[in-house]
Amino acid sequence: VASLCFRQRLVLSTLSRKREKILNIRSKDDNPGLRDFEASFVRLLDKVTNGTRIEINQTGTVLFYQPGLLYGGSVEHECNVQRSIGYYLEALLMLAPFGKTLLRAVLKGVTNDPTDPSVDLLKVTAIPLMKKFGIDGAGLEIKVLKRGMTPAGGGEVLFTCPVRRSMKPVQLTEPGKIKRIRGTAISLQMANRIVDSARSILNKFIPDIYIYTDHMKGASSGKSAGFGLTLVAETVNGTFLGAEVMSTPQGQGDPVLPEDFGRNCAKLLLEEVYRVSITKHTFVSGVDRYVIEFLRHIRDFFQIMFKIEQQKPGEDEQKGGEKVLMTCVGAGYSNISKTIK
Amino acid sequence: MEKKEQKRHQHKHSGPKAQKKNRKKEQVTEPEQDERKRNPRAFSVQSAVRMAKTFHRAQDIKTKKHHIPLVDRTPLEPPPVVVVVMGPPKVGKSTLIRCLIKNYTRQKLSDICGPVTIVSGKKRRLTFIECNNDINSMIDLAKVADLVLMLIDASFGFEMETFEFLNICQVHGFPRVMGVLTHLDTFKNNKTLSKTKKRLKHRFWTEVYQGAKLFYLSGMVYGEYQTQEVKNLGRFISVMKFRPLVWRTSHPYVVADRMEDLTDPEAIRLNPKCDRTVSLYGYLRGTFLKNKCQVHIPGVGDFSVADVSFLPDPCPLPEVIKKRALNVKERLLYAPMAGVGGLVYDKDAVYIDMPSGHEEVRPTTELVQSLIGTQATLDAKMAASKVSLFTGTAALTPEENPMESREWDERAQRERRRAVFADEDEDDDGEQESDEEEDEEEEDEEDEDEEGVTTLKKHDKKAAETAAPPVKKQKFEEMSMEMPAFADSDDELEKIEGEETEEDESEEEEEEGDEEKEEMEKGEPAKRSSGPDSGLCSEEDDEDEEDDSDMDEDGDGTMGYETPLLNMLNVFCVCVYIEGALRWKEDLAQKATKAYLRHQLAAPNLRKLVYGTVTGDEEEDSNDEEELGGLFKVSRPEKSKKVRADAMDCSRFQPDNSHDWDQEEVRSSIRDCFVTGKWEEDKDAATLLKEDDELYGDFEDMETGQVHKAKTGNKDQAEEEAPQVKLDDDEVQKNKRLEKKRRLKERFDAQYDDGDATYFDDLKEEMQKQAEMNRQEFEDVDDEIRVQYEGFRPGMYVRVEIPALPCEFVTNFDPHYPIILGGLGPSEGNVGYLQMRLKKHRWHNRILKTRDPLILSLGWRRFQTMPLYYIEDHNGRHRLLKYTPEHMHCGATIWGPITPQGTGFLAVQTVGGIKASFRIAATGVVLDLDKSVTIVKKLKLIGYPYKIFKNTCFIQGMFNTVLEVAKFEGASIRTVSGIKGQIKKALRTPLGAFRATFEDRLLMSDIVFLRSWYPASVPQLYNPVTSLLMPVGQKDTWAGMRTLGQLKHDLGIRNKPNQDSLYKPVVRQVRHFNPLHVPKELQKALPFKNKPKQMQAKGKTPRDLQRPAVVREPHEKKVAALLDALSSVYAYKNKKARAEQHAKHKEFLQQKEKQDAERQKRLKEERKKTYRAMGQKEKKKLKSSLKGASKNN
Repeated sequence: VASLCFRQRLVLSTLSRKREKILNIRSKDDNPGLRDFEASFVRLLDKVTNGTRIEINQTGTVLFYQPGLLYGGSVEHECNVQRSIGYYLEALLMLAPFGKTLLRAVLKGVTNDPTDPSVDLLKVTAIPLMKKFGIDGAGLEIKVLKRGMTPAGGGEVLFTCPVRRSMKPVQLTEPGKIKRIRGTAISLQMANRIVDSARSILNKFIPDIYIYTDHMKGASSGKSAGFGLTLVAETVNGTFLGAEVMSTPQGQGDPVLPEDFGRNCAKLLLEEVYRVSITKHTFVSGVDRYVIEFLRHIRDFFQIMFKIEQQKPGEDEQKGGEKVLMTCVGAGYSNISKTIK
Repeated sequence: MEKKEQKRHQHKHSGPKAQKKNRKKEQVTEPEQDERKRNPRAFSVQSAVRMAKTFHRAQDIKTKKHHIPLVDRTPLEPPPVVVVVMGPPKVGKSTLIRCLIKNYTRQKLSDICGPVTIVSGKKRRLTFIECNNDINSMIDLAKVADLVLMLIDASFGFEMETFEFLNICQVHGFPRVMGVLTHLDTFKNNKTLSKTKKRLKHRFWTEVYQGAKLFYLSGMVYGEYQTQEVKNLGRFISVMKFRPLVWRTSHPYVVADRMEDLTDPEAIRLNPKCDRTVSLYGYLRGTFLKNKCQVHIPGVGDFSVADVSFLPDPCPLPEVIKKRALNVKERLLYAPMAGVGGLVYDKDAVYIDMPSGHEEVRPTTELVQSLIGTQATLDAKMAASKVSLFTGTAALTPEENPMESREWDERAQRERRRAVFADEDEDDDGEQESDEEEDEEEEDEEDEDEEGVTTLKKHDKKAAETAAPPVKKQKFEEMSMEMPAFADSDDELEKIEGEETEEDESEEEEEEGDEEKEEMEKGEPAKRSSGPDSGLCSEEDDEDEEDDSDMDEDGDGTMGYETPLLNMLNVFCVCVYIEGALRWKEDLAQKATKAYLRHQLAAPNLRKLVYGTVTGDEEEDSNDEEELGGLFKVSRPEKSKKVRADAMDCSRFQPDNSHDWDQEEVRSSIRDCFVTGKWEEDKDAATLLKEDDELYGDFEDMETGQVHKAKTGNKDQAEEEAPQVKLDDDEVQKNKRLEKKRRLKERFDAQYDDGDATYFDDLKEEMQKQAEMNRQEFEDVDDEIRVQYEGFRPGMYVRVEIPALPCEFVTNFDPHYPIILGGLGPSEGNVGYLQMRLKKHRWHNRILKTRDPLILSLGWRRFQTMPLYYIEDHNGRHRLLKYTPEHMHCGATIWGPITPQGTGFLAVQTVGGIKASFRIAATGVVLDLDKSVTIVKKLKLIGYPYKIFKNTCFIQGMFNTVLEVAKFEGASIRTVSGIKGQIKKALRTPLGAFRATFEDRLLMSDIVFLRSWYPASVPQLYNPVTSLLMPVGQKDTWAGMRTLGQLKHDLGIRNKPNQDSLYKPVVRQVRHFNPLHVPKELQKALPFKNKPKQMQAKGKTPRDLQRPAVVREPHEKKVAALLDALSSVYAYKNKKARAEQHAKHKEFLQQKEKQDAERQKRLKEERKKTYRAMGQKEKKKLKSSLKGASKNN
């Protein structure tokens, strides 16, 4: 499944330093070959590595990728507006700790869109998770410098990440109880309405809710208009569950009332809470298609198989859906790019 | 080794002995205790500085003892300890091994050939390896040795090999080293013996560490060492503890103790030089070995493992640990290379070693001989022959499928069984039946172990008969071969849970079952038609295939559809379908049960869902194509596939909006996920409080005198009151109690022991916890499955199959040389640039030259490469060096295998032959890995001025074109005399000339230079040392690339020196200076002193001016002589008188001085007297004035 796992395969290939040939990229499609955003992604990989060899055939249906060494450093990348920055950032989050030097990436493009996890969501969920893996310190940060909405973009995100020699093993077996809910509403006028409607639902569960409104004015608000809401629930164990809703770009889709909007988002969060899985070594929520592909690829690249156990919920516990406990033995991966003095 | 508490002997409590002891104790202990009290000043702080110093020193010593804690990964059943016996030739290595083996196992081994594994104790096994006197073996064995017995001939002293080996060990992580002195019986004099011992011991200590164990083997008795000494040595070995080494705990490795060539004999007959498939056996050490990983065999090269499997331990530890020592049956010895343990087991065969059976029986007939000699089979010859039907047309050749034939090779190389399938592939469908019978016959010949698999194959074939193309069949085969474990276990799991749900879902099941049947009957087309209706189609299909194999294993292929597994699968799929169709608003209870059941079902399938189907997609691709007229293929975009393949590459989970969060029931289902919900019993605030009560419950209020009692019985009462709590499960209670106890202890520790806990202790504890967890996680899983999760664990006896080994490995196999399989990490198979810190070894007698080939031992590997040496300038520039510094570290960059930073390496110049000098040329450590190099070389461009203005001048000869100049505009340049300048602009003519400005005026004789840095390129030479492939007996003669110096020496070439560099006699021209010219005007103005003196040379005095000579008369002469005599007398008198005078005066001066001194003394005394009187007077005056004042007051 070439295009579904395009990103995974390239990232895992870069980490494992195994060369990779992706065949049949939309070869049967009317519009064959790589999409612009994928090409942009490949270019980003080229920027953060040293000595990478990339060969694409003329139609763009075959990609040969020989990874170099992860380098890091200062990188500025113009992300394609077809996908949001989250698409690129997810990959960078996996790669950045294993570079030679501290990564300081400025990504330009769409910060929020309805398909990908937005930058705000990654900021509140991925960063604490990385801290659990032992990647902490002053350098780790995702910062939204400018906001950019779907079609035109114009947003800017700064991502910095320190390098580490190796990661700590983690046990994320207990999600813990949710102690507070925070959120960010992105809008100029309707923020209050969104916030109120979201609170109306969440208040039934927990009183500790605070939703910030994020006003970005002028140049820093991007080229197109839009609004959205990101919610994150923090548990007593320091696990973060997030959910978000973004408006569709202007002129597409049905118009939505801000109230419905807020309510939808709140419900999504509850859904997330219902589903939230207990995973031991990776963050996977639920087992869906994408995750399955990812696990298979991990197996192919690192020969790591996860032990997947179903956890039966207790008799009278009301904790939502069934959980999955995944365990694996690490590959003993260490950062071989980092210089020692 | 676990530390066991020895039982101590009982002390006497009564009787005269006990009394005596008590009395003694009282006497001794009391004053000791009171030491501080009795003499407190001795213990008081005398000096704060000194106290601080002593404290610091104590802390330093304490922290120096700390090592970075490592996660303990030793398995429960550790692999045998590798004991390498090392030493120069003729020092007694084989004898010692023989003695030790005899000591442990009571068996005599005549020839030590390859590793010998023995059971030495209840918990320990040992593998003895003898290290021969080849630096290749020394390097390889130092990397795997846990303990090194270093034999030293005391009658001779240390030899270079010993030190070389110690240095090798040091680089690759220091294993335990124990010295053994032999040949001690040659010393006749006891005093020299003890002196030698002491000398050798101290030298050994400086190399290893102070107090390292050095063992003495005093003499031989009937060609063996003394039994008691060997026994003692054995004891030392069996109690030795080992510290894990970083490289080894992060890399799996196998010291192969057995090798089998699996290549098809036919292939060897056709081409004796064909690549071989070899299986190597040995205990896995280090860390987990994953299947299909890359390994390096030192001395051969990098290979990817085709297959790993574990075998029953050939030399197992005794099963039941009794208190007594091992009995004879348990003292096992395993040394297949030495021909011991004549019966060896393989995965699918048993080998019996027949000592005399090695001779080949040759047929005598000539015809048969010639038949044997033929290189190709009849079939092949037929295939190669050509027939032309009509004249002038191209010859027809039978169609060949290279893919297939290649596959055939692969299969055939390994096992005969595989070859069967290849035959089948070549056949057409029509001929299948007859072929099959043949195949079956062949299979019958195979080993009995394989029976299960063969029956399986039969069924496979039957199933395949219906429709599936040959490719498919192979897949079947692979499937069933690869994952029998999964299939088995899943079956069982699902059987259990399947029974519960069968009833509920029977309807759907039947429908689905029917569908499946149809599908199976129709074969391929049916499958495709069923494709689009679900996203899971591919999984489904594949699982069908797997099911087939599963069923076959069960033994009934006919009623396969009814097996629970398939049902389960169907149910699973159906559930998915239904999910979409049903609306949640109908009734929740039913849905909840359904969802629950679905989850129950999903459980075992999850793993299969994730890992079960990997090859599915590609397979479909190949089958789906439809041929149109046999020429064109219709490419038809398929709906279902497109949906899957072009799905959005998005990590976001798209939830089905099945839960309506407006409803109260749904909402309550996650109620407990919030802090406001219900807590678990052990974390509930109320219970925690209660526990606190129990802990600190009893206290008396001192002020009021009230006594607060804890409500201890509270909990029990509560339990009694609530009958729903099951009282019968003591286990739960016990666990609870234990848990409580643990928590209490934790709290206590946190409160009272916190003072001692340092960062180090915390770290250590954390590591220990992690180790414990790692150990427990997969403890209860079956080995077959466990291996798939965590890889093969150390301690297992594994069989590693490696394809495509060079034939020399087999033909030149020598069991005396160790074969090591070193596992490589994920990226360590690649090659790149390595930056390392390097130091020439202080005992190596020459410095190393940049770009001279050097043999490095890094990681598992030994390879030849061309290093570039550099040194880092203060501004971070890496400047190339021509030679390594004499006594300093320098950098080196090589093109070599990617190895983690911090790995040590050593370098030798040659591995062939033994030179007198120290062979280890350099040692160092890897610092950095990169894909590009940063070394620069200084380059001076030289130019000459051809026109000079004031401070500007035109310079030529530095560049050749205008473009070159343009590139260097603004660069600073300098003359040799030190005048700095800058390049300004290129001139049109002559080419490459430019204008430059300087801070002063240049001379035409000046040379201008520009200092620049030119990137040096590292030669991409990575040449693994293939010493194991050399013929037997010449394995230590591997010679790689020669250095330039060696080449010149060998070919007798001498450099022609530069003529300018030769020394010539110095010829100096006399310089001629012009006279100073002062203008006339200036001359006039000058003072006389400075005026140039116009002195002309005096001419000859004319004769008239010359004075005539005086000629005396005889009388005059007499007078003159008398006068002379008188004057000399007078002068003498004068002189004498003066000397007298001088002496007198001296005396006078002395006298005077004396008198003066006396006078001074006297005067001083007088002065003193007067001063004293004056002082007294003064005092009196003061006193009287004070008195007067007081009186006045």
